[in-house]
Amino acid sequence: MFHKILIANRGEIAVRIIRACRDLHISPVAVYSESDAGALHVRMADEAHCIGPAASSESYLRVAAILDAAKRAQADAIHPGYGFLAENGEFARAVREAGITFIGPTPEAMEVMGSKTNARRAAIDAGAPVVPGTTEALQSYDEARDAATKFGYPVMLKAAAGGGGKGMRQVARESELRSALEAAQSEAASAFGNSDVYLEKVVERPRHIEIQIFADTHGNYVHLGERECSIQRRHQKVIEECPSPLNDSDLRRRMGEAAIKIARAVSYVGAGTVEFLFSNVTRDFYFLEMNTRLQVEHPVTELVTGFDLVREQINVAAGQPLSFTQEDVRWHGHAIECRVYAEDPDNSFFPSPGQITYLRVPTGPGIRDDSGVSEGDEVSIHYDPLISKLAAWGRTRAEAIDRLRRALDEYAVGGIKTTLPFFRDIVRDDEFIDAKLDTGFISRFNERRQRGTGVPPVSAHAQDARATQQDIAVIAAALAYTEKQSTLLTNHRGPQSKWKIAGREAALAASRMRNGK
Amino acid sequence: MKLQATIAGLELAVEVRRHGEVVMATIDGREYQLEAAHQSGSSVLLRTSGGKMFDCRVEGKALSGETVDVFVGPRHYAVTLTDPKRLRSMGAAGGHADGTARIIAPMPGKVVRVMVEQGAHVEAGAGVIVVEAMKMQNEIKAPKAGVVVTLNATVGATVNGGDVLAVIE
Repeated sequence: MFHKILIANRGEIAVRIIRACRDLHISPVAVYSESDAGALHVRMADEAHCIGPAASSESYLRVAAILDAAKRAQADAIHPGYGFLAENGEFARAVREAGITFIGPTPEAMEVMGSKTNARRAAIDAGAPVVPGTTEALQSYDEARDAATKFGYPVMLKAAAGGGGKGMRQVARESELRSALEAAQSEAASAFGNSDVYLEKVVERPRHIEIQIFADTHGNYVHLGERECSIQRRHQKVIEECPSPLNDSDLRRRMGEAAIKIARAVSYVGAGTVEFLFSNVTRDFYFLEMNTRLQVEHPVTELVTGFDLVREQINVAAGQPLSFTQEDVRWHGHAIECRVYAEDPDNSFFPSPGQITYLRVPTGPGIRDDSGVSEGDEVSIHYDPLISKLAAWGRTRAEAIDRLRRALDEYAVGGIKTTLPFFRDIVRDDEFIDAKLDTGFISRFNERRQRGTGVPPVSAHAQDARATQQDIAVIAAALAYTEKQSTLLTNHRGPQSKWKIAGREAALAASRMRNGK
Repeated sequence: MKLQATIAGLELAVEVRRHGEVVMATIDGREYQLEAAHQSGSSVLLRTSGGKMFDCRVEGKALSGETVDVFVGPRHYAVTLTDPKRLRSMGAAGGHADGTARIIAPMPGKVVRVMVEQGAHVEAGAGVIVVEAMKMQNEIKAPKAGVVVTLNATVGATVNGGDVLAVIE
């Protein structure tokens, strides 16, 4: 087993990894940028090394600086966490070449999965379903028409060089195809200087469901079931659940087997996640991509399966076989996680950096908070605004929601804006409670939230309570105001302090005594 | 202290008086008597005479015309206070420094004690009258030093919020 693990990360995930190190009697080594010198992950580590200025390109992304710190600390392994260098094949290779164990898959597996087209090809070779479509650019309208007929409408036209929704057109029927193709091509040409467009079948009302897999160096592969990640904002996951509210054991088995096939195809080692799109209409699933690292949302899988994924990662990296087999994996209850970001939900989710002046973290039955901050800490503009992940476990989804609602109401963060108020509304939303989930959930929810509908009708009693609360808010503000005025007034009057007066009297008395002698 | 508050698009007339831990407030005619406990930094615990608790936190600069963020439990309110006195000048706080000061009943109640006589001299901050409301006794203090020129309160009398109980000159 390792003696020292260097954690090439910061924030909540660095804290999470430090905790696993402590469990395993391994000494955790932190790295930090100049602006993180007093951060929680630094305070919790046994030793810490500065790797550069605040900007991550000059610190947490600097391979040489991190390797240098690892050598100085004589660390025998490096855990990359997620983000930063976690899926960087060159970093994994440099770590290996320095004679240090990289806690993660091989750089070769990372590089295959890092490219969308290579990953898609690997999935096809492994016999996993992929979204049907043309892999090459369309050469003519006739070719587009034939492909669309073959896959079935609706279809999506996508710019080969695309991104950000440019050069994308959804086509519902053949009569719309010609003009949509021309529009997509000209848009692609002006946006990317490349008019190549390909065609894919549209997955209607898709859910985002991913499978957690694990593999060791002895050829054992297991899956730990799915996570439902359909609640996304701008392709960023916001709420994750385990299991999916679909809770279909046959679907879980089929998706798990597909995920393991893909992992085997690249001789995967360690923790990995295979993401799928699932159609609510046809109930088919399609390979999307594979993340070759620990996921942000791993706690929901831990809560439901009882395994410690970081501990398992470390064991596997040390050459041990997996501590469990596929038959040992059981799913007990339901877990839901909210990503608490330093963002203002009432102002287009703008980042809200600043000092955390007040912090009250919820706890109690079924609650887990994975945080990277403490009161007084500064949320820096330089890094991801994730400050904590709040997860709730219950025997049923309904019980998990009850606990999550309670914990969200207990959670208080002062000094900065957070996404907590947004989550408090989601856990009270009927569509969420009824698990009507697909990737369009957030945009529908935002509309309901802005219109003020969807919020359950309030009883007269509750309305009275709200009106009182509003008056109390005004009173609290007025008290703060009078308090402020009286301190301002005292300051204006100058030295009024009784201590000062007493001090002056004592000094006078002393001088009188001296003069008297 | 009389203030104007804006909250959730509403304009409210606010009057708040604080005597130690006792807070009396009138918001657009709705009257509250509260106990303010455990005030530390930005947070204060407000308790009604009926025992209802409100865990409050105020963030931001509590100045006239500024908006502060108020949290009552998990609920957030943006409150803007305007002090009509601040629109004129500083130094007016605590009554008219060189004129008269009126002692006003902060809320309806019963006069249970009168500690001064007409014509008597009082120091600033000295207790003048005690009014009982919602089973709490509230001592009203002299805002300035001077002579009690008017005394409208007698023990046992019922008074309304806003009544002038005494004038100090």
